[in-house]
Amino acid sequence: MGTAIVNLDINPCKMCMPMGAASAFSGLKNCMTILHGSQGCATYIRRHMATHYNEPVDIASSSLTEHGTVFGGEENLIKGIENIISLYNPDIIGVATTCLAETIGEDVEAIIQRFYKTHSDARVKIINVASAGYGGTQYEGFLKTLRAVVSHTEMDPTPNGCINIITPMLSPADCRQLKSLFDDMGLKCILLPDLSENLDGVYTREYERLKGGGTSLEEISKMAGAKHTIELSLFASDEISPAQYLFDSYGVPFTRMALPVGIRDTDAFIDALVSLGGKRTGELSKERGRYLDAMIDSHKYCADGRAAIFGEPDFVYSMTRLCCENGLVPMLMATGSDCPELAPMLEKEARACADIQFAGTPLIRDDCDYEEIERLSEELGVNIMIGSSDGRRAAQRLGAGLVRCAFPIHDRVGGQRMKTILYEGSHNLFEQAANVLLAKKEESFREEIYEMHFGPKEAANKKAASAAKTTAEKTETHPCFNCAGGKYARIHLPVAPNCNIQCNYCVRKYDCPNESRPGVTTEVLTPWEAFEKFKYVKEKMDNLTVVGVAGPGDALADFERIRETLKLIREEYPDVTFCLSTNGLMLPLYAEELIELGVSHVTVTMNTVDPEIGAKIYKHIDFLGRRYTGVAGASILLANQLTGIRLLSSQGVVCKVNSVVLKGINDEKLEDVVKTAAEAGAYISNIMQLIPVRGSAFEDMELVSRKEINEIRRVCGVHLKQMLHCRQCRADAIGTLGDDRSIDFRGCGAEKDRSKSKAKRYAVATKSGMLVDQHFGQANEFYIYESNGDILRFVEKRPVYKYCTGSDGCIDDKEEKMDAILKAVSDCDAVLALRIGNSPSKKLEEMGIKIITTYDRIEDAVKKAAS
Amino acid sequence: MEKNLRILEERKKSIRDNSFFCSGNGKGISCERASVSGTVSQRACVYSGARVVLNPVTDAYHIVHGPIGCSSYTWDIRGSLSSGEETYRQSFSTDLRETDVIFGGEKKLSAAIDELVAEKSPKLIFVYATCIVGVIGDDIEAVCRKASEKHGIRVIPVKAPGFSGTKSQGYKLACDAIMELIRPCSGISRENGVNILGDFNLAGEIWTIKSYLKKIGINVISTATGDSSCESLMRLPAARLNIVQCAGSSVYLADRMQEEMGIPFIKVSFFGWEDTSSSLIRVAEALGDMKALEKAIAFTEAETSKAKEFIEEFKPRLKGKKAAIYVGGGFKAISLIRQFNEMGIKTVVVGTQNGKADEYEIMSRITDEDTVILDDANPSELEKYIIEKEADILVGGVKERPLAYKLGVAFCDHNHERRHSLVGYEGIRNFTREINISINSPVWALCK
Repeated sequence: MGTAIVNLDINPCKMCMPMGAASAFSGLKNCMTILHGSQGCATYIRRHMATHYNEPVDIASSSLTEHGTVFGGEENLIKGIENIISLYNPDIIGVATTCLAETIGEDVEAIIQRFYKTHSDARVKIINVASAGYGGTQYEGFLKTLRAVVSHTEMDPTPNGCINIITPMLSPADCRQLKSLFDDMGLKCILLPDLSENLDGVYTREYERLKGGGTSLEEISKMAGAKHTIELSLFASDEISPAQYLFDSYGVPFTRMALPVGIRDTDAFIDALVSLGGKRTGELSKERGRYLDAMIDSHKYCADGRAAIFGEPDFVYSMTRLCCENGLVPMLMATGSDCPELAPMLEKEARACADIQFAGTPLIRDDCDYEEIERLSEELGVNIMIGSSDGRRAAQRLGAGLVRCAFPIHDRVGGQRMKTILYEGSHNLFEQAANVLLAKKEESFREEIYEMHFGPKEAANKKAASAAKTTAEKTETHPCFNCAGGKYARIHLPVAPNCNIQCNYCVRKYDCPNESRPGVTTEVLTPWEAFEKFKYVKEKMDNLTVVGVAGPGDALADFERIRETLKLIREEYPDVTFCLSTNGLMLPLYAEELIELGVSHVTVTMNTVDPEIGAKIYKHIDFLGRRYTGVAGASILLANQLTGIRLLSSQGVVCKVNSVVLKGINDEKLEDVVKTAAEAGAYISNIMQLIPVRGSAFEDMELVSRKEINEIRRVCGVHLKQMLHCRQCRADAIGTLGDDRSIDFRGCGAEKDRSKSKAKRYAVATKSGMLVDQHFGQANEFYIYESNGDILRFVEKRPVYKYCTGSDGCIDDKEEKMDAILKAVSDCDAVLALRIGNSPSKKLEEMGIKIITTYDRIEDAVKKAAS
Repeated sequence: MEKNLRILEERKKSIRDNSFFCSGNGKGISCERASVSGTVSQRACVYSGARVVLNPVTDAYHIVHGPIGCSSYTWDIRGSLSSGEETYRQSFSTDLRETDVIFGGEKKLSAAIDELVAEKSPKLIFVYATCIVGVIGDDIEAVCRKASEKHGIRVIPVKAPGFSGTKSQGYKLACDAIMELIRPCSGISRENGVNILGDFNLAGEIWTIKSYLKKIGINVISTATGDSSCESLMRLPAARLNIVQCAGSSVYLADRMQEEMGIPFIKVSFFGWEDTSSSLIRVAEALGDMKALEKAIAFTEAETSKAKEFIEEFKPRLKGKKAAIYVGGGFKAISLIRQFNEMGIKTVVVGTQNGKADEYEIMSRITDEDTVILDDANPSELEKYIIEKEADILVGGVKERPLAYKLGVAFCDHNHERRHSLVGYEGIRNFTREINISINSPVWALCK
């Protein structure tokens, strides 16, 4: 286990400190946040929060630029604070630094002091927190901000009997739960922060920029006089713990507790509140009872769960304990924060839970990313994930259910209203988990049990059978594989220019339209041209059922082109039969893909099965970047031919084996070839006469007689069906076997013809390319149109710089540029521009060019001008 | 408490509001300036711009060199679709920590690339330098160059510290990165066909455009960057013509390709039926392909009449409504105003994050005199004008959505996260439907 990638975080399971700061400030009353740094940070964080909370999240930025970065951002920050006061009139302004501000060493504390000095009337409380993105995660940023809040507020240490409750990031709904709990228990509590209203606002007729909820400055100032602090975080270090600060500075005693999640930790929290004077209500006991009852109801469903729990340390800790209480096995517990304390705190409990079901050893990780979470989850057999919606991609790939219950939730609504704490929240949470598991079981149990008994093969067989049927149908209508197919037409698309072997009977030439033999063609087409040609021919030839690739080179030597061609055609013509012909060298590499592309018929030219004979037929072969000759080359070729035929035929592709009769070389051994081919699964064999080609090594070879060929075919026919109607077509043959009509369709690709009329020319100054929206003098290009008053035609786009004389940079010189512009439009009858200056308009008049200023759509404007 | 609807003095010059801005033609709207600090600008940063353009390269490994935030907030947030690899949907970061900031992050980056090569065999890596990398002075160009040589793959640096400019600067950096990638292929042989530049295949939009071009018989050689791959990008230099959809982000790439490779380009737009139709026709004309032209004319006429029919049905329900628009670029805003005009909806507020002076001038010409126009608007200003101008719907990005809803106003999502296509004839239908479901939702009656 363990990845070799340690220097990269792949899919972060954490956010940055300013995110935590902004979230914490959102829980203060009438507080507005400004991030001291470049503009993007505020925008990204706003987007991240707005999508989760579905609330307007206003976070300002000091919008540092290059200048601010070099000379310091004081001016920007002070301006920013002034503007916030003017627009929002807040009680508190939270200033959180970003990576940039911290790295350039901004002394924010001093800047704020100077602000107060120069703005003596300002009654706003400015609280700053150092929150460099690299200094920790949103988790530490959140707590650190709360610490800054308590340490920056003027405190009133007069004892007031209140209880301070300090929390890590909770949902607004959970904050509301806590507050009503205190009310019910008759306790005066100060909740810091209180996100309940500001991040889950009510709809009102009048919109308020600052929603008026949150912990007020007055309440915060009373925290020093509280009788006790409960900090619901087990992982806040002393340096960032607000409770520790209140104790150190004002002697407020404190207790650190886990979040009240699950029975045990909620009980402990309630007990603590009771010991601080709260009364245990009847409703609380009922809630607890209902929760226990629900746990019993679902414990067996929960036991099917193997969970990955991920998020902030406190969250992971609490969710793990919640799962363990009801037998849902936490297999992976992961936090993105640096938090080595997590593992020892959970290890024992998680193991014990896993042990009940012999579920293996759970793992606990900190400083973890989603790449690791996903990988470990797969290894550990996780089937349910618990955390934020960031886990959705991993969950999807793992086929695991996802319980979304932590920030951020971006793919569902209601993130701000999820309940996870106290009896009711815990209840809600584990029922969600149980339901995810129930839904998974319900979806899959039928198939799983069926497969256990019959295996998944059944379905695959069915599929293969239906595929075979269509191949059989296709064979019937294929002119080269079936005699009766003669009435069906095929088109050979010459898209394969290169060959990867050299046969001694072949010289590949292109422009020779009078020959009719394989490998000869007038033009080599690009995939697109081939597709266009097919479309064109198909329109004129109804009985066209087969598309073949037969050269001029080898169909698989340039497989990219074949793939592209077949894809283009398949998309538009799903019923066409694809076939191709090849020497077979590359077949083992591409067989699978050919099947995927829907190639149903393949012809392999196989002249021998004996490498010694092969060495005489093949001059060389080029395979995977190397050239082989002699027996070595032939051996590779022959082996690949057979492997290829086996691969194809075993999956229902119809294979034809072509063999050229070479007198004195293979004519006596062809029976072996056909026999071997038959064993490999070939469907039909085609014994062909040699066509001697001038310039080839075999140009003077004596031919076998027709009688001899028939005899060979008879002998071979014992092993494999013989094709007796082959016409040895050209690589660009079109039509039925008896009637090659390729000459009628030659060059039917993209001929260009522009009928010139006595149209008028219009030069349009446009920036967008859609509207007349450019000043004449500022145009760097003109769109030239022609119109005869009726039809409108775009001619070209003319860059002005092409009309520059002298220096290259004439665009930068106003006068030179104007000369170039005038030259650019000199052949036009009119100019259309958004506006035009006096002097150029005079010049145009002198040139006899009409001026039209407008801001219309180009086409409409030219039409109007021409009519 | 009385409502605070004031406008900051220094923002007034960026807003055309008849009560304080006299020049009616929008000519003087101050734009293309740094945002005013503390105003809650909606703008993003240089890195964001570069990432938008390069992100859709499906088999690229996008490494964010910097602290974790930038990587966290840009992980798979865009709706660009892929027909092949899904690598681009992952987020890679060197996750710089305190010590890296002190001692420099070059070694970590270099080691990260080595590991990535060993584990994942990437063909193409983009390395984005974010804010602090610019400050601590890591030489990412050198690291990338060395890694390229060492591993024989393409490792391309994108120096995009957030503070170093605007989003548009990021677009330019991305275009430079693409040029760097394809430059070695500039000699490949030309084929008859076009490239589509400046479409990011949000909700399959590039597939729609490709299918239109295919219908009229025009071959698409490659795309930048929607649904592209390292290999497909390398084929960009084979095209006869570039067609540029999002001019704001990609016209610079087209310019470079024209200058260095001699490939001409034309600008097109597939937003709205008029633009879609004239763009298709223009592509055929630019290629001098008469057959394609014939087909384009026939195809666009047929589709236009269908689209018109569709809108006619909705028109009575939309007519007389008022729209507010706040989007990224000027061209999109203009296009939206025109589409609304088509539906009988008046645009009463329009603004952009990064519009240019001449774009504001156009906006002022195609809207009524009392339409408010804003550059780099903030939530307070949007709030003020949505209320004052009694807009029925806001078109914008997700950050603006909650504001619209809180103001009791309908909303149409026009940013990169959407799941439905807005291009072509299909896009017009989607757009109209979306406007209708939000503007005519029964919920608003309950909010009165």
